[in-house]
This record gives sequence, structure tokens and C-alpha cells, in this order.
Amino acid sequence: MRKIAIAAAAMLLGAPLVWAAGENVVIEPPAEGSVTREDGLAAWDRIFEVASHPRCSNCHVGEDNVPMWSGPSYGEARPHGMNINAGESRIGLEYVTCATCHFERAGLNDVPHAAPQVAMAWQLAPVEAEWFGKSSDEICNQLRDPDRNGNRTFLDLAAHLDHDLILHWAWNPGGGREPAPYSLQAHVDDVLTWGVAGMPCANDG
Amino acid sequence: MQLTVNGQVHEVDVEDDMPLLWVLRDELGVTGVKYGCGVAQCGACTVHLDGMAVRSCQIAAMSAEGAEITTIEGLGTPGTLHAVQEAWIEHQVAQCGYCQSGQIMQAASMLDFNAEPTDEDIDLVMSGNLCRCGTYPRIRAAIKTAAAKLREA
Repeated sequence: MRKIAIAAAAMLLGAPLVWAAGENVVIEPPAEGSVTREDGLAAWDRIFEVASHPRCSNCHVGEDNVPMWSGPSYGEARPHGMNINAGESRIGLEYVTCATCHFERAGLNDVPHAAPQVAMAWQLAPVEAEWFGKSSDEICNQLRDPDRNGNRTFLDLAAHLDHDLILHWAWNPGGGREPAPYSLQAHVDDVLTWGVAGMPCANDG
Repeated sequence: MQLTVNGQVHEVDVEDDMPLLWVLRDELGVTGVKYGCGVAQCGACTVHLDGMAVRSCQIAAMSAEGAEITTIEGLGTPGTLHAVQEAWIEHQVAQCGYCQSGQIMQAASMLDFNAEPTDEDIDLVMSGNLCRCGTYPRIRAAIKTAAAKLREA
């Protein structure tokens, strides 16, 4: 009810409506055998556009555990301000917890430069999922490797996109930040299409 | 809603999403916590929520309901100062002093989980708390003194 009331108020004010509470995702893979390798690779190219977008890649950083920042006023991506280091915990337990500013809360992220907040703990992706600055082939091979994708099938990857609300934020970042391309649902559909095609990568030969 | 601040329960009538900082300062008159930037960039509004340092400008009042909120007023008293507060006086850290309650709250939280912080640890933890007077060398020294006091205690 509260969501509806705020939505109505936002529409009245003409304000952009930005939720951090997540959206509904439909997981309906294409029929087995219905996707060609070519179509699978085309889906991968769109997946890579999303994965390499700063809204996603800035948190898929390596062993230095330093999140990246980028936005209209920053130019190139640069290390998170305030000397932030998320530590091996990837949630900042060793130094300053992500939750010190990125408090767990579903709400509007409409204030520029404020800390984005979602309805789950803010965190870096696991270090195995490091892909900041990596090529399409490198990320493709990572995402189909159970050792580096959290032991997930393509259906599991789609489910991960559905239930990990921090990922939803990429398409609704608020605060003047550029969202990831396409939409969450389109991205999930691409993952399913890529999966049914056998998770092809361009370097398969 | 009910908020527990420095051990005292307060009934407050505020919007659910009012920043905790505003509730503390404007509704409850707890003014040790400072407003600096309002967007989690400076650390002046740092308080403890169930012992963890947080930026109170980023927390909705409703999110703090049921938690133990501690401000600089509740960290120690003039008669029984917290080790970080003692060290702050000993090193005469404050210049203008505006940032110091946030600095002290962040430092006290760090020492709860890191009893012997290195210079690098201190820099990593304290870089989110800005001091426009540039008292950083004294902040670092005071934290080391406080850490030593706490280890002896």
C-alpha cells in the first residue's frame, strides 16, 4: 500500500520512479534445441554489454577488494572514494562495512551522490567473479565455469538475477546514474537464450 | 515509533523515512551528532547502531526502530570517558571540532574489532571521516593511544 501511495505521489510530482525493492522476473527458457549457436552468441553479446557496464562491473573487482565508481561527473571509472576497501569479506567487515552507508533498505535512490541502498546487504561480488576490465571472451568463459560462477547452471544464473535484489538496482540506480542497458527481464531472457544454446563463447572455435 | 538512544527509549512522531540524523538533532535535541553533507560523503553524522558505525544521514528512522542507537553523548560521560575520548583530549586532536564526534564514533567502532590497528588500517577505516582542519596526524596518534589503553584495560 505504501509503495502504491509513493508511486502515486511521484507521478503527481512528475518525479522519476526508482525502486530498490526489486521487480518481478519471469524465468521462461526457450524450448530445448530451439536456439542456434549464432543466436546464442548474439544473446551473449548483449549479456556482455550488461556485464561490462559500470553498474555491474564496478562491483566485480579483483583481489584488491576496492569497489569502483563511475558516473556522469566522474569520466573514467575510478576507485571508490574515501579509500574504501571491502576486504576479503567483500562487505567491508575488516575496515568500513558497506552497510555503514549502503544501509539495507528498500526505498528511493533519488539523491545524487548519496549511497545507493537496496533491500539486501550491499557487497562486492565474490572475487572468483572478478571481471572488471575483462574481455567478452574472458567473462563468457567465467560465467559458464562452475568453479567461478558459484556452481550455477544457466537456470541458476537466471534465478540469481531474480532473487539477488542488489542486481536489480543496476537497471534502476537512481540519482542521475546511468542504468545498465536493456532491462532486467531482457537480460534474464538473454541468459536463458544463451543457456539453451549451450552457453557458447566466441572463442570456442 | 520508539527509538532507543543512549539507553533511553523515546517515542517520536516522525515520517518513517526521516533520516535518523534529523530525528536525533531536531526531534530529540541530541546535537553531538553533526550534519555535514547529508549524502554519506563526510562522516560527521556517524553514530553506532547496535555497536556498528553508521552514517545517520543515510538511515531512515524506521530502520533504527528496535536497535540500540549510541551517539557521542552515550559513548562516555565527562566522568567516565571512553578511551578514544580520553586520547582525543590527551592529543588535543580537535581544532574546530565539528567532525570530531563522527571521528570518535568511527574510531571507537574500529577498536571494537581491531585492537591494534596499523597506520594502514587507520587510514582505511578513517578516510570516510573528513576533517577540514587537517588534524589527521593527531587523529591517527590518538587512535593508537586509545588502542593501547584499551589493550591494557
